[in-house]
Amino acid sequence: MGREVGIVGVGQTHHARRRTDVSQAGLVREAVDRALADAKLSMEDIDTVVIATGPVLFAAVNQPEKWVVDAIGAQGKSVVRLTSGGGAGFAGALAGYYQVAGGYSDRTLVVAYDKLSEGQLQYSISTLYDPFWGREFAVGIMGFSAAYWRARMDVLGHTEEAAAMVAAKNRNNAIKNPYAHQKKPVTVEDVLNSKPLCWPIKMLDVPPISDGAAAIVLASDKVAHHSNTRPAWIRGMAYCCEADNAPERSLMLSEPLAIASKHVYRAAGITNPRRQFDVVEVQEPYSCFELNYYESLGLCPPGQAAELIASGATQVDGDIPVNPSGGCMGANPIGAVGVIRLIEAATQVMGRNETHQIQGAKTALVQSGGGWANLRGCAVLSA
Amino acid sequence: MFYAPETAPIDLPTFKSTIAMPYTLTPGRSAGTFLAEMPNRRIVGSRFAGGKVIAPAQDFSPVNGDEPEELVQVPENGELTAFTRVDGVVIGLVRLDGCENAFAHRILADLADCKVGQRVAAQWASEDAGTSITAIEGFVLSPDAPVGEVKPLVGPAEPLGVINYSMALDYDHAYGPYYGRMFDELKENGVVMGVRGSNADDALLPPREIDDITHKRTGTWKACADTGTIRACSLINMEVYGQTRPVPYAYAEIVLDGASTKMIHIIEIDDLESAKQTIKPGTRVRAIWTKGERKGAVSDIERFEVIEA
Repeated sequence: MGREVGIVGVGQTHHARRRTDVSQAGLVREAVDRALADAKLSMEDIDTVVIATGPVLFAAVNQPEKWVVDAIGAQGKSVVRLTSGGGAGFAGALAGYYQVAGGYSDRTLVVAYDKLSEGQLQYSISTLYDPFWGREFAVGIMGFSAAYWRARMDVLGHTEEAAAMVAAKNRNNAIKNPYAHQKKPVTVEDVLNSKPLCWPIKMLDVPPISDGAAAIVLASDKVAHHSNTRPAWIRGMAYCCEADNAPERSLMLSEPLAIASKHVYRAAGITNPRRQFDVVEVQEPYSCFELNYYESLGLCPPGQAAELIASGATQVDGDIPVNPSGGCMGANPIGAVGVIRLIEAATQVMGRNETHQIQGAKTALVQSGGGWANLRGCAVLSA
Repeated sequence: MFYAPETAPIDLPTFKSTIAMPYTLTPGRSAGTFLAEMPNRRIVGSRFAGGKVIAPAQDFSPVNGDEPEELVQVPENGELTAFTRVDGVVIGLVRLDGCENAFAHRILADLADCKVGQRVAAQWASEDAGTSITAIEGFVLSPDAPVGEVKPLVGPAEPLGVINYSMALDYDHAYGPYYGRMFDELKENGVVMGVRGSNADDALLPPREIDDITHKRTGTWKACADTGTIRACSLINMEVYGQTRPVPYAYAEIVLDGASTKMIHIIEIDDLESAKQTIKPGTRVRAIWTKGERKGAVSDIERFEVIEA
């Protein structure tokens, strides 16, 4: 068993459709300065650094960590860069967690970012496809995600209305989030009537494209109190993957997420997720994803996600609020999102979320991942 | 004892693929000002605490990450600190007077005349090179170039916010024995072939050496039909960079008869509303082969179409 690890400092940029005032490195610097200040630390106090981003094709700079190291003053430190598609930020945080839990570092800085305004998002994602076998027909992740959402409609009842409720909930929640950049009130009808992009995915089921960075400082129980009297302790964290085109793989339920949550719940002593969690933050690159997470995370049985969103339970004033921050619908700098979700959950259990605090939140669930179902992780945080 | 296995590389044709796309990169304030000042023939550096100057200007000190106190105009003269010749062009590292660092640029001289420590001077391009570092054509050897001084940057230009850039990367992918035979069969015989799972009759497509579920060796080769069933589909109505056909059309993941895994292809549609009714998971489809000589690629199938009940 490793050491206890807490999140003791957090920082993120004001995300935007396009930040022309800073380079990639400058964007990272903003988030790092804020996280270090929040943890009452300077770079000298940091033992190791993890830098996480999406695919380099997003912004055309290979090995960007070399550039970032100069910009954050991390010369001479142990630095690794980690990438794992949409789940890059979460995977980076997991790597940092292992370093501290394993006793190799007392304080690890994890910074994650993407500057998506610079490149061609869906085309870049299409290059994940097999160049021999299907890339020429790929429409990024959107065509693929829409296809399997369509398949889930018939099997699991994930209707267009249910997904529209998710989109409206998260978009309206984002209005209060000072770091979000898409903040417009939206109704379920607005979502249903928006332009089909890759039907059943419609314009308002889709988050914005964003430039943004987010950073956290992880600390061992030995030194956490120097930064924070009430850290957000990581009670369990896992990230799993599955095969891409194997037989017997239905892609209806996300098996990796079910496996990850089983490990994490056991570590954190969670036996009834619906009752034990006070707040949930998930990475929903399209609204239909959130329905699937309800099921794979055990917030409801398979096939009942549409009922759960319709019941209002996952609204800010429901018994299991999901994405009070607005999730990806407020801002979606893809590589950073896993860390942003951790920051949102951490500030909730620390009781210091200034704009959308869930009163009395003590235990939070975080989900993040990449691809439609391939890479999925979750973590439990509590004060 | 270590034995080398009795295999050796064989040269075979490759599959050519290109990833190409445009970018809009963000230089940040310092580099953005440096570039914006190029048409004005001023070289901009950044001065950090303690007076150290870096040119071209940078937003963060390469020494400790500090942000610059101010942007400055640096001299056009300096010193050659290293050089080489690439494709007939001499490339050198130049440290401008008063600066801490050296940066790479063309040296407009014969290699034989270059010496480390030699004085050099910027030569501006006679033609308009715009907001690019190539507005400096290169550096000429200039033994008598006076030692310049770093000056305040008076009335700096607005930094560039965005720089247009593009990248095209060519790849030669090796087919390997399994993809090699699959595309050979496609080209020579017009048949889509997979390999049976380790203990199943249905074929894995594309073929592979190891069964993903049992982790055992896959079985014998099997021809799949050119008909199949849609497993998942979406109706593409969005124009994105790199798309090869006009919208709308259907993106479909199809399990061919005789196969256990999907192949990705497209189905033509007339309009979204009717396609929602006719193209669904479970819909039966057939391949429409591309006319003319087959190339041995997935594009030998032009598209799929719905089999009318």
